[in-house]
Amino acid sequence: MLSFLAQRLAGLVATVLAAVILTFVANLFVPGDPITVMLGDQSSNRELAAKLRAEYGLERPVIEQFVSYVLGLLHGEMGLSFRFPGTKVSSVIADGLAISPLIAGAALALAIPTGIAVGVFAALRRGSLADTGVMLVLVVGLSIPNFALATLFVWLFSIKLGWLPVAGWGRPVQAVLPIALLAIPAAAYLARLARTFMLEVLQQDYIRTARAKGLAERLVVWRHGLRNVLLPILTVIGVILGGLITGTFVVETIFNIPGLGRIAIQSIFARDYPVTMGIVMLFTLVYALINFIVDLLYGVIDPRVRAGAPR
Amino acid sequence: MSLAAEAIAETGGAREFIARFLRHRSAMLGSVIVLTVVLAALIGPLLATKDWRSTDMGFVWEPPGEDFVLGADQLGRDVLARLLMGARVSLVVAFGVLAIAMIVGVTLGMLAAWRGGWVDAVAMRAADVTFAFPELIIAILVAAMLGPGVSTVILSLAIVSWPGIARLTRALVLSLRGELFIEAAIACGTPTRRILLQHCLPNIVPALIVRASVGVGFIVMAEATLSFLGLGVQEPLPSWGGMIRDGLPALRSDPYLALFAAAALGATIIGFNMLGDGLRDLLDPRLAQR
Repeated sequence: MLSFLAQRLAGLVATVLAAVILTFVANLFVPGDPITVMLGDQSSNRELAAKLRAEYGLERPVIEQFVSYVLGLLHGEMGLSFRFPGTKVSSVIADGLAISPLIAGAALALAIPTGIAVGVFAALRRGSLADTGVMLVLVVGLSIPNFALATLFVWLFSIKLGWLPVAGWGRPVQAVLPIALLAIPAAAYLARLARTFMLEVLQQDYIRTARAKGLAERLVVWRHGLRNVLLPILTVIGVILGGLITGTFVVETIFNIPGLGRIAIQSIFARDYPVTMGIVMLFTLVYALINFIVDLLYGVIDPRVRAGAPR
Repeated sequence: MSLAAEAIAETGGAREFIARFLRHRSAMLGSVIVLTVVLAALIGPLLATKDWRSTDMGFVWEPPGEDFVLGADQLGRDVLARLLMGARVSLVVAFGVLAIAMIVGVTLGMLAAWRGGWVDAVAMRAADVTFAFPELIIAILVAAMLGPGVSTVILSLAIVSWPGIARLTRALVLSLRGELFIEAAIACGTPTRRILLQHCLPNIVPALIVRASVGVGFIVMAEATLSFLGLGVQEPLPSWGGMIRDGLPALRSDPYLALFAAAALGATIIGFNMLGDGLRDLLDPRLAQR
């Protein structure tokens, strides 16, 4: 167990290092001079330019800049914004910090039980009309991109039927469509996996034994089937989280939600690279951390993983 | 038997494969959709009665009718002509990404498996780093650095796509290494290059085809997402993702642009995914029973 833990931890550290170096290098190589952009119509003001350059540490050697970048990160600081001169990146993204995890978390909480339930339902009726129908819906749910589905939903539910607001943030009803749209592909993905795993589990000897000893079908499914389905599903939580992160960029843009995704996109267009990189870094850290935890949990639950057996 | 060899043995001859393909409903439906999109991309822009570039301010947000079959957009451009051109853009990006990712992924995967040692370590750690970032974050990062455009999209999506192909190739070649015919080739003193290209490659092609066909849908979706966010294909070139973004603000009064573009995009990805799933069922017997 200890070597397994050390191995995973090394992987996590490597990932974090890669993210730190990559965002720092990206910041160095982005096009344009940020100071010129910040100066705007005061472009002839050499004194101000020199002062800003010093404040942003842009005239220091690259190595020194890197060290202070890393030191800043250790203190939870990601540098200064280009778009809002003198403002810390952490305060630019502070508002979004409360929003994106909320939407993504709600979508995940909705997608997990729904996806598993639908997948198990289809598996238990394998080959029936209901199963075929579910599979068809799942292909559609997995295939249509968030924003294409959002177009249809906003047009149908908000404009034609008038049930939900078109966009905005603040009232709970405004969160319904964004969360639903984030949850749909995640749920479809989970449902497909749950169906596959359930079909596999139902063919196992211990299921036949459970049935043979006269156990009620409901108990066979719940006690012996579902439990063994949940285990492999745990491993894909990381993949789903990756999809949700990309999804927040799209959904927040469509619905005008002031979350991290929208701030990141706006920052790209405003050439506010420190903010963009800060958000990229944050998403990558969360992603790496969740994957690390999932790996650990899987190792704890399934001893074969710990022993380094092929998964 | 190795995984790759097993896959070949099970699929049988070409004639049997075609017969099974024709019986496979989702593969057939998918290939009909994909063929339609490919035809639209190839000859659509030639058949369109209007030019996809020409703006006409007298017909801004013109609803579908005789003159503009699917209506006109915010600049009075023909939506149908732009949808057809959009199909071409989408497919050019998808096949460009696939070509680069395949060449890089297969080459590195083979070398990693065959040479082992530091080549293997470097290639696989590079793949690990790419996997460490959530889905499109790297693509967004590259687009932010290089500025948006078709070549940036192709490059950034190729960067995201090659590691999966390299890992798959590596695993397949490793399992082939123990095969008798490869050992025989080595014993005969066949040059490494020849072993890899003429003995290994043909045996891993079915698996690569499955991988590619499953991947196309994702690439089309990723390109549309980047274009929708404004980080992908740029005006005046049409992209389905960009058309949806242009159409969203006018959804209340003139929903045609956004809805038609969303339908084209959705149908195309569904087609590719159905075809991919079908091919996987047919070519990969280990998954067929699922």
